[in-house]
Amino acid sequence: MLKINDLHASVDGNKILKGVTLEVKAGEVHAIMGLNGAGKSTLANTIAGRDDYEVTAGSIEFQGKNLLDMEPHVRVGEGLFLGFQYPVEIPGVSNLNFMRTALNSVRKYRGLEDMSAAEFMKLIRAKAEKLGMAPDMLKRFVNVGFSGGEKKRNEMVQMAVLDPTLAILDETDSGLDIDALKTVAAGINAQRRADTAILLITHYQRLLDYVEPDVVHVMIDGKIVKSGGKELAVELEEKGYADVA
Amino acid sequence: MNEQLIAAYTSQADGLKGTIPGVDMLRKTALTGFGKHGFPTSKTEDWRYSDMRRFHKAPFELVDKSVAVEVPEALGQTAARFVFVNGRYDEEASDLGDVWQAISIRPLANHFMSNEYRVDELIPGTDGVSLLNTALMRDGLVLSIPSGVEIDDPIEIIHVMTGGTNAAAHMRHVVELGEYASVSVIERFVGDDTNYWTNTVLQARVTEGAKFRHIRVQEDGPNATHTAKAYVNLGGGAEYICTNVALGANMSRFDAVARILVDGANAVVNGIALAGTGQSHDMHTHVNHIVPHSSSDQVFRTVADSRGKTSFQGKVTVAKDAQRTLADQSFKALVFDKTAEANAKPELEIHADDVKCSHGATVGQLDDKAIFYLTSRGIDPVTARQMLVAAFTAEALEKIGFDDVKEALMGRIATWMLQRADRIGTQR
Repeated sequence: MLKINDLHASVDGNKILKGVTLEVKAGEVHAIMGLNGAGKSTLANTIAGRDDYEVTAGSIEFQGKNLLDMEPHVRVGEGLFLGFQYPVEIPGVSNLNFMRTALNSVRKYRGLEDMSAAEFMKLIRAKAEKLGMAPDMLKRFVNVGFSGGEKKRNEMVQMAVLDPTLAILDETDSGLDIDALKTVAAGINAQRRADTAILLITHYQRLLDYVEPDVVHVMIDGKIVKSGGKELAVELEEKGYADVA
Repeated sequence: MNEQLIAAYTSQADGLKGTIPGVDMLRKTALTGFGKHGFPTSKTEDWRYSDMRRFHKAPFELVDKSVAVEVPEALGQTAARFVFVNGRYDEEASDLGDVWQAISIRPLANHFMSNEYRVDELIPGTDGVSLLNTALMRDGLVLSIPSGVEIDDPIEIIHVMTGGTNAAAHMRHVVELGEYASVSVIERFVGDDTNYWTNTVLQARVTEGAKFRHIRVQEDGPNATHTAKAYVNLGGGAEYICTNVALGANMSRFDAVARILVDGANAVVNGIALAGTGQSHDMHTHVNHIVPHSSSDQVFRTVADSRGKTSFQGKVTVAKDAQRTLADQSFKALVFDKTAEANAKPELEIHADDVKCSHGATVGQLDDKAIFYLTSRGIDPVTARQMLVAAFTAEALEKIGFDDVKEALMGRIATWMLQRADRIGTQR
């Protein structure tokens, strides 16, 4: 589903990714672990197409198509989703308006009709309830005044509504208390299907107690230095990055 | 100022002698004032952000050409529509609705035949531009709302300019609200693509407990010059709620002067300006709190494209006796790139000690992170920017009071953004 080959990327002229190679197949959950500054978030943002991240070499293929040729919103239409480490606050735009515009944009890209307001309300209420988000938060401005945990829940609601083929979740577990972590994990597991894939980016193992990965990668200084099964995460937690790598 | 220009405008005023009964003396006084002040220049502090050179070239001429015009569709439901073409009332194009049964409405030109005593209530003006309005006014609307009468739907005044190059129209509207009366007036401005000048003064007296909602929608032609002033006096517990929307014209300027004369009154002056390339919009306010226990609120949001310019000068005066005054002012500007310009000059002049006054001014660009966030959810960049600009301007449209009008204006903003979809810059 996702094939990354020898990817190099820079931010403001600083080389951050120095040859990442990674393949994620349908039905799989991968976790990328690494310390701050290893390039995990850069990788996530580069896949999503943030335009201040410059790809200097390598390729990303998504479902057989060259992802690097696509604008960010087109990537979403193709089935990609990025859960933000720091979701952005947007004063003046209500969550409902935001999500409905997003869903209908994706539907339009896929040649589907707009979803009616009533149908959309039904869908989003159901998803919000499942993820423990209070209904009144849907009416509020996007992420404005939300706690860290509420922002992450909001990301999960967006993911559930857009139902992506590939979800990349950037530090979705950071800043969550244990209850929120469990709810968010349940949201991720609900997205786990034979026809979808998930790429988790985290620097702690604790999310992986609730979302069991098929493959764990260790990233250091812009490269994946080691890959293995879920036991690798446990090993990392015990021994630290220096020893494992 | 140039003697030839003064002579030209004097001769225009002479030509108007006797056209509105009772105002000849007032015209003369105003003209003398104009001769003394002349047009402001960009060195005049109050006009420093406006390009005034246009006034110092050939004189703008009054025109009589009255052709059948296409009146633009109303922005929403209206109680009545009054059309002025090239500064003259056009009865045929107007639609008086039913409101004339409840209130008194007259074109200015006929008004003083029956109410001559009110001539001395006409404000002569305070600068070259408004003085010339008085010297050269030919028509306008006099609206009197009797005590206790509430008109629900807005009354629309539509100003159409078709006079061609250098045409000018000077209009004077008078709004009088009896105690506990209420009315909403929408002033709209449209015109051809010549370099005409439209110059309007609206003066209002809002007496005890009355409410005057004032919505201005300036959609003048691309080469036009638009100047307008509102003088509003507020009685006890009275309310003035103004929303100024500046979209058209090459140069536009709106001055709102609100004086709070009896306690408990509230003045709201909000505004939006969208300046395209080469356009400038100037907004001035002066809210004068003269008595205790009154409030005012100002919310201005502007957007400037490349080489567009928006300016705001907002003055709040709180007199020594005006204790317990609440006054807020907020100006925020979005600029597309480094060639766009936004000026802000808040001025608080506070002589009382027990007051709560605040002001804030920011100038910035659309947030790249917000755009990426929206596009990363599948929203295309043009829609994303439209959403962000709509959100940015929303607060300044909140007090319009009519959903249909508000929606129509939000549509204007969306269209404006769409026209610039290819070059809406962000930080880089």
